[in-house]
Amino acid sequence: MPLSRRAILTGAAVGGGLFVGWYLWPRHYSAPLIAGEDEYGFGGWLTIGKDGVVTVAVPQLEMGQGVTTLLPQIVAVELGADWRQIAVQPVPPSGAQPNIPLAAKWAPLWSSIPSLADEPGDMLAGRFARDHAFSATADGTTLAAYEQPVREAAAAARAMLAMVAAKRWGTDWEQCEVEGGLVQFGKRTLRFGDLAEEAATMRAPDPAPLRPDPPAERPVGEDDDSVDTLFPRLDLPSKIDGSMIFAGDVRLPDLVFAAIAHGPIGMQELVGYDAKTVKKIRGLVGVVKHKRWIAAVASNSWQAQKALKALRPRFSGPGAVGTEKLEQVLTTAARGEGETILSFGDPDSQLQQGAAGATYYIAPALHAAIETASATARLSDGRLELWIASQAPEAARAAAGEAVGLSPDKVVLYPLEAGGSFDARLEKQHAIEVAQIAKAIGKPVQLTWSRAEESRMVPPRTPVAIALTASLGQGDSLTPSAWRARLACPATVREFGERLFDNATPEAAMERAAGKADPLACEGALPPYAIPNVAIEHVPVTLSLPTARLRGNAAAYTAFATECFIDELAARAARNPLLYRMEMLGQQPRLVEVLRRAAQIGEWGAGDGGTGEGMAVVRMDAVGDPQRAGGGRIACIAEARAGGSGFEVERLIAVVDIGRIVNLDLARQQIEGGLMFGLALARGSSAVWHRGMPSPARLGAMGLPGLADTPDMTIEFVSSDAPPFDPGELGVAVAPPAIANALYAATGKRFRRLPLMETVA
Amino acid sequence: MARMTVNDRPVEFLLDGDTPLLWALRDAANLTGTKYGCGVGDCGACMVHVDGEVLRSCLVTIAEAEGRVVTTIEGLSADRTHPVQQAMVAEQAIQCGFCTPGIVMAAAALLKSNSAPSEGEIKAAIRNLCRCGVQPRLVRAIERAGRVARRVETISAAPAPGISSRDAKSSVPAFGNSNDKDQSR
Repeated sequence: MPLSRRAILTGAAVGGGLFVGWYLWPRHYSAPLIAGEDEYGFGGWLTIGKDGVVTVAVPQLEMGQGVTTLLPQIVAVELGADWRQIAVQPVPPSGAQPNIPLAAKWAPLWSSIPSLADEPGDMLAGRFARDHAFSATADGTTLAAYEQPVREAAAAARAMLAMVAAKRWGTDWEQCEVEGGLVQFGKRTLRFGDLAEEAATMRAPDPAPLRPDPPAERPVGEDDDSVDTLFPRLDLPSKIDGSMIFAGDVRLPDLVFAAIAHGPIGMQELVGYDAKTVKKIRGLVGVVKHKRWIAAVASNSWQAQKALKALRPRFSGPGAVGTEKLEQVLTTAARGEGETILSFGDPDSQLQQGAAGATYYIAPALHAAIETASATARLSDGRLELWIASQAPEAARAAAGEAVGLSPDKVVLYPLEAGGSFDARLEKQHAIEVAQIAKAIGKPVQLTWSRAEESRMVPPRTPVAIALTASLGQGDSLTPSAWRARLACPATVREFGERLFDNATPEAAMERAAGKADPLACEGALPPYAIPNVAIEHVPVTLSLPTARLRGNAAAYTAFATECFIDELAARAARNPLLYRMEMLGQQPRLVEVLRRAAQIGEWGAGDGGTGEGMAVVRMDAVGDPQRAGGGRIACIAEARAGGSGFEVERLIAVVDIGRIVNLDLARQQIEGGLMFGLALARGSSAVWHRGMPSPARLGAMGLPGLADTPDMTIEFVSSDAPPFDPGELGVAVAPPAIANALYAATGKRFRRLPLMETVA
Repeated sequence: MARMTVNDRPVEFLLDGDTPLLWALRDAANLTGTKYGCGVGDCGACMVHVDGEVLRSCLVTIAEAEGRVVTTIEGLSADRTHPVQQAMVAEQAIQCGFCTPGIVMAAAALLKSNSAPSEGEIKAAIRNLCRCGVQPRLVRAIERAGRVARRVETISAAPAPGISSRDAKSSVPAFGNSNDKDQSR
């Protein structure tokens, strides 16, 4: 079965090219997808070659989530192509392919307007995203941003192909069928390849003649985990034989290799190094020093690392960061006053007497992608070329250019796939560094951060303390009548925004965000349950540890606190945690359904002590969806027991409702992977900083689950026609509280910290 | 200066003897399928076969590899036809793919010594880290690879690279010939 896939490094240069414009194309934007020889462009989203190969532009970063299959699948279905004729081209950022839903959601980070998130397609967000070529890959917005545009482009292309065929056959194009890569009328067929050249000159009907239904795959029967997909991932053949090119795999003539050292957190100014010893290192090309780092460059990575070690760099600064007292600082702050993010009813008076409370502490969490930050750069003839995997490529491009005195239009970014990211590649420090090193050395340079640098220099997901208070006592069920969540953490999303949108240093970003309430840092803190009086408050705490986004984001900590506390309230009320939740979900039929089915599969009993079963539910809302017509829902039952020096999770059952499913197996991969990521958060993937250095910094000491720690998983999807929702973060959020509640059932002990145990073997 | 056989070819590395095999393979031989993830043997992304045994190439120097036979992911099969490669694709037990070469090499070594490993043996043998979370599929994929190795199952999930346009034409109508004539007459 020939799966055609283009070499990943084909010219993704900015501007110019043999681009065939058409009316849908906003002409003042650079063309992200350039038609090669014997290829013809359709709307900047696809080209069709004389050979019949359909190449689909993907403006989102592939980091394992399958976007280089998902968007091409939508094109193939809408166009009527054979899956085997589809090729993929990751394209650099262009204003013509903006991520408007994400721009709307992140509006507080780039505008002074508090929120545009509830106004889809908002003018301002659209203008911002187009003007800034904002096509970031984050927050599960791929389908919301790109499904409609790629469908329209593919539908237009289908019509244009049919028009040419119909002209040759003397019939109406509407009478022609397009499927399997052929235009058909009666028994006559024409291949796309024979039509493309003329088709590209046709005038597409406006609006584009979409097929009646968007692509949808129905969930198969119960616990059917066979992989039998009509749309196998396009990226796997090149990932199975080592031929996939990641940023550290690019090879250029005269390429040299750089190793870099940064200071401990809080001690980031380079103040000295040993220049002499390094000279003995064979193959040394040069040493590049900067205010905040030093790099050794050599003919291979090992010599560069040896030279870097010999340099013995010394750093200074206001003070090395220690986080030994973080938990105490944050839990104390969470018991103080906060700024109201959201409030309804009259929670204050309700919570004055007889309220139950608990405080949860969630430690800083590490990304620990297996690929460390890597980039390759070549600076020649006043032009910078940058090979990099970036979730925010335009920001990386602009920052790298600025660092070497070049305007963004002098920077060519070749988008590569990421070896995992989990939001680490929203950061762009390595893009800046590789450009500066390339400039200083005068040769093409490859920079690969060591694992130690990766652990230290990618800011962790924020630590947070969450104080929850609830009044027990609506009727006999003892469900809460009032609820307050007070989150003590830095304005972490604002801080991230200062780095992303204003290119601030980590320290400057912390300073600018300090003391501001941050609604996005409190996402998911509103429980999905029917509680008449609620207050969500943020206590912005200033830390000296920079913080960042991480897969699961705020939902991963708010769901942990909410779902553990609900379990505590159920226990106080002496209620079955399943029925207790169900009674508060009357207005949430989709949540009821996932919970009901999960409980059924898990043969949920009384949920009493000793069973080792725990549950959690999570609802995530879509951007610009105040009525909550879309969004995602997951219920999880965990079976766990204490064992050895920690705990073991034996089984995870998850029932998931993500609305319409475009690619069922990709969705399943995302749920499986999300649950594993959540399991890692429950076990570890956290650090303590001593003297500015994270401990552990080694992957092997982070408590990451391996194959032997992998629970048996049962995953089911609900069949739904609701708007599609990205499955990537649901599992991350739901697993830790389900596991914590299971451990309570097994041990009678409440786990109010994440990771759940101080030390993990 | 270390000499060895890499993917069936004689190679002499003009590098310091203390250079880890990982960096010699990547930076000197341009065999970049072997990945750096940690440099200290934690992640397994750099696994290769040395004299048929799976080793972390970040922990082996080229001096230690002198005279040995090294196989990397690029040399495991010429055309992606190794049973582990086929099964990993068939089960879609790959996401970002960065840890994949190491997992494939580890699984291939396991099946070489035991083509019908039990679940427990697979779990004990495969210690590679994967942050995307493909673990729920790995046991199934490796068991399936074992069946292929034992010739009780066949898979053709990952196509060979470099398919000729003639072969493509014969198997995919979209690449074939148009039928522009009205045959009903």
